[in-house]
Amino acid sequence: MMKRRSLLKLGVASAVVLAVAGGAVASIAPGLTGGKLSAAGRLVFTAVGRGMLDGTLPADDGPKQIALNGLLDRVDALTLGLPPHAQEELSQLLGLLASGLGRRALAGLSPDWTSATVPQLQQALQGMRVASLSLRQQAYHALHDITGSAYFADASVWRQIGYPGPLKI
Amino acid sequence: MAIQDPIRDGLARGWKVLGGPHGTRPEKLVCDVAIIGSGAGAGITAELLSRAGLQVVIVEEGPLKSSSDFKQIEAQAYPQLYQESAARKTADKAINILQGRCVGGSTTVNWTSSFRTPTATLAYWQDRFGLATYGNDALAPYFQQAEARLSIGPWLVAANENNDLLRRGAARLGIPAASIARNVKGCWNLGSCGMGCPTNAKQSMLVTTIPAALDKGAVLLVETRAQKFVLRDGQVTQLQCLAVKPNSALVDTAQTATTIIAKHYVLAAGAINSPALLLRSQAPDPHGLLGKRTFLHPTVASAAIMEQKVEGWYGAPQTIYSDHFLDTQAIDGPVGYKLEAPPLHPVIFASTVSGYGQQQADLLKQFPHTHVLLALLRDGFHDQSRGGTVSLRGDGSPQLDYPLTDFVMDGARRALLSMAEIQFASGARQVLPVHEMAAPYTSWAQTKQAIAALPMKPLLTKVVSAHVMGGCGLGGTDKLGVTQPDGVHWQISNLSIHDGSLFPTSIGANPQLSIYGVVNRLAQGLAKRLADKEVALAAPAS
Repeated sequence: MMKRRSLLKLGVASAVVLAVAGGAVASIAPGLTGGKLSAAGRLVFTAVGRGMLDGTLPADDGPKQIALNGLLDRVDALTLGLPPHAQEELSQLLGLLASGLGRRALAGLSPDWTSATVPQLQQALQGMRVASLSLRQQAYHALHDITGSAYFADASVWRQIGYPGPLKI
Repeated sequence: MAIQDPIRDGLARGWKVLGGPHGTRPEKLVCDVAIIGSGAGAGITAELLSRAGLQVVIVEEGPLKSSSDFKQIEAQAYPQLYQESAARKTADKAINILQGRCVGGSTTVNWTSSFRTPTATLAYWQDRFGLATYGNDALAPYFQQAEARLSIGPWLVAANENNDLLRRGAARLGIPAASIARNVKGCWNLGSCGMGCPTNAKQSMLVTTIPAALDKGAVLLVETRAQKFVLRDGQVTQLQCLAVKPNSALVDTAQTATTIIAKHYVLAAGAINSPALLLRSQAPDPHGLLGKRTFLHPTVASAAIMEQKVEGWYGAPQTIYSDHFLDTQAIDGPVGYKLEAPPLHPVIFASTVSGYGQQQADLLKQFPHTHVLLALLRDGFHDQSRGGTVSLRGDGSPQLDYPLTDFVMDGARRALLSMAEIQFASGARQVLPVHEMAAPYTSWAQTKQAIAALPMKPLLTKVVSAHVMGGCGLGGTDKLGVTQPDGVHWQISNLSIHDGSLFPTSIGANPQLSIYGVVNRLAQGLAKRLADKEVALAAPAS
């Protein structure tokens, strides 16, 4: 009656992606530890934030870095609230994306996350978004939805989009 | 002026609430009736059975939050009040499901839309599922009582611009639209219903039936998961419950927090969670129906930019609707859809609308001018629309596999067309069908051509749901459903099911009033059987 854990399905599919990419499945660092982003998770979301939020993030490096740090803090708050099965699945996805093989196979990104330019990141995101492999599309949606949910959750960015915040009562 | 918080007042009066930050749960609780869940079906049942003098225990997995906690902040509300932080997904991640997980269930966070079950839906149930007693006239008095009890009535305040655009656009095309009745009393028109009503105007279960039951001595366990029924000889002998943390993780994986022994059990944990509890309990399912035919009203969206400000966050959400695309075709023909206009807040909008980078930045810069329509597809009335199936993950949590068939997605394409046409008719400058391969279009002709060419596939078409129905369907025989017409499980004689999981198809309308009305009748019958008492939610209409 019980089904095998769904994260194992992701695991198997991921292994297939890695095998197709010609690599062995290396041990992969988790993307979340204690429900929050690990170093691997922060690496991925910093780059995904640069790509997803280009045009929304401040143009100057200093304020941009502050905004990206705010994004990471709010992603932490979001992932802490997820139930265990969703945390495990996201952890595996982020860990995979943070690995070199996973980044190339799943995101289709050659340069590493830190050195990738915004156009390179956006090309990778677009590739996942319209991929024929549903695992790549699912990864895109997870990154898109979490980035949007976390970034626009904070009052500091509401003015930029003309949202006044809740009515005082 | 401080707003009175009826929950904190009740706790101060000595309500028996245990679990989470409240009192410690006893190892064993003995009662007349254990109710699993505290949403629409559970609340109605709890009030009626308590009125009949029965000792009731209510088990809720989410927390007890109330108006003092409701700050109209999405980032607080979603993790606190919704299943899986408002990010519950179907197995293939193609549909995001909004479902409540707090005292009051989805009624605490819904947008107040109140419709009686459409006559055509009831006729289909009578015809196909052997539910002879589910006629319009037979149910009418029960709907009337629920409407009286929950202040459901016409909304007489002017619609906000987001809704009025639906009215005006539809009118220009000769499409009928009408006002939506709401369950509110003294509504402040804040627009924050989805984050918990901060003024207690919404007549959710949180502020109506649950307090009524607690005032009559019911016990409420919160942050407590109903894990498993122990079954013997066609009866539930006990219910095992576990303590959970705010994110639904177990507090202690090895420890049963409480065992409840009741004469009768009422399962009202909502579709998905109700069948999941029966699956965890290995309940008899001789015809393979449990968890099957789970429906969602798969919903697609169209985002328009208007010249004028819309400010879709202000004012009552969903006050205008159109059933034109339900009423103009056969219920068992191509999928029809209901049109509504949702509330707009930054998190839900940014995470739902397709796109990234400059396109998303350009769209969000025009957030105050954004107008969104939703189309809710009426699923479950055709062989190629059989809904989804609930199963269990390795950790016992439920998962819904819902295949979006070409038949259903054909309806999604027609819905995107209808919404864009109405939006241009109401003066839209630009329309974005929410689909990964669509762009913002500036004319109806261009949009029509683009939508015709879009691949209507899962994960490309954005699909969401706020209405989960079915999985423990009613049936006139045990081959037609999990549950008998009187709400009792076909194979388990001291177990009733009183929630949206009863519905053998989708409703074709926002389901809260369907649950209130149907369960009102079931719970009155149960009170009569268990306590030999006549009880009602409200006096009969004079």
